[in-house]
Amino acid sequence: MPLTNPIHPGEVVWTGENPGILLKESDDGPFCAIALFFRIYYSPVGRGTALLILEEPNDPVSLPNACNALICDSPELAAYIKKDFIEKLPVFAALPGYQASTVVALTESYPLGDPRTCYREIIKTDALDIELIWDQLSQPTALELPAELTGAKENELYTVLIESRDPTININGKRLRGNPVERIQAGIKTTTAFLYFSETWIRPA
Amino acid sequence: MEQRIPVNRGRVDWAGDNPAIFLREDVNGPWTGLGIFFNVTYSQHGRGYTMIALGEPTASRGYPDSLNICITNNKELTNYLLTNFVSKFPAFVDQPGLSAMTVIEAESHQSGGDMKTFWYETVCASDVQIKMEWKNLATPMAVEVGPENCVTKLHDMYSVFFEAKDAVIYVNQTPLKGVVTDRQFFGRTMSTAFLAVSETWVIPESNPNENI
Repeated sequence: MPLTNPIHPGEVVWTGENPGILLKESDDGPFCAIALFFRIYYSPVGRGTALLILEEPNDPVSLPNACNALICDSPELAAYIKKDFIEKLPVFAALPGYQASTVVALTESYPLGDPRTCYREIIKTDALDIELIWDQLSQPTALELPAELTGAKENELYTVLIESRDPTININGKRLRGNPVERIQAGIKTTTAFLYFSETWIRPA
Repeated sequence: MEQRIPVNRGRVDWAGDNPAIFLREDVNGPWTGLGIFFNVTYSQHGRGYTMIALGEPTASRGYPDSLNICITNNKELTNYLLTNFVSKFPAFVDQPGLSAMTVIEAESHQSGGDMKTFWYETVCASDVQIKMEWKNLATPMAVEVGPENCVTKLHDMYSVFFEAKDAVIYVNQTPLKGVVTDRQFFGRTMSTAFLAVSETWVIPESNPNENI
């Protein structure tokens, strides 16, 4: 529902795209694979692209033993995403795999496909070729969440949610194990695989 | 504080970026150069980009007889945007150049800048190029309007706006005539050049005006 005054009094913190895939081997088990992608158009530290990839989220290991990494094309953006976003979300910050993760330079990234049917993000480093696939996509839903309905409960969020019923994370051709599970967001029953387009975080005035 | 509803149950028509530049030679005169760009990440007509430059908005002529031209990589999407959005935007309403412009298949798109001070978008076809440049960018602000304040009179619209105090539209390196002027924007004086990113257009669940 639109604001009474069309110009939001708050401060735009960052805006861009933020799709993700979180997989489990059983509904009540821990996440066994996590991918959270950021295409940031504007932020306090500039633009850039980043991927948090946790191949072994529950083990305190990192490359080359497991692909627990934050892949990014900007060191400043990587530090900002870690401190101001990921580490404010306990579901990620407390994971041994995140705590052991390393920052790796991104060399190439681009989207493929059509978010009406099947959509992909390709992310590359010198040694990694990662493919995120969101298949069986739903119709989009526009969300405008007050801070209390967001993970960190700090900023308001506008975003367009498109859920996926059949996601895949591939690292160098190897498919990570696990499946999406159900989750509730703002009262909507959805999945742990999602596209988020036109996403904007706003610090309330 | 007003009661907000977290889930918009309406139909998302499209999401993406929609920056524009409107130029005049005289503050009280007609538009002399119009440029608008769409980079659509989601729509019911697929993804794609469209750039429109009207170097002679009042002339019923297309390119190369005038600099009225549209370059796109998704013609179905472009037709949808022209019919349901661009033709309703105040600067473009009833402009003969919009109907007469030549629509050309795109070969490439480039963008660049930091979005804090300047930004550009360039779209190329085989023998023609349009470039839009925004300079002296302001701090962004989030905007959210309902059908009563939306140019289409149909949509809820969410966007992040960056005002640009200076801007240029080039067609094949030739700048279109005119300069950025002021306009009123929800009670604020702002310029006629802006970036609009992370934009979402939604037909509300119960809109009696819906006819798209």
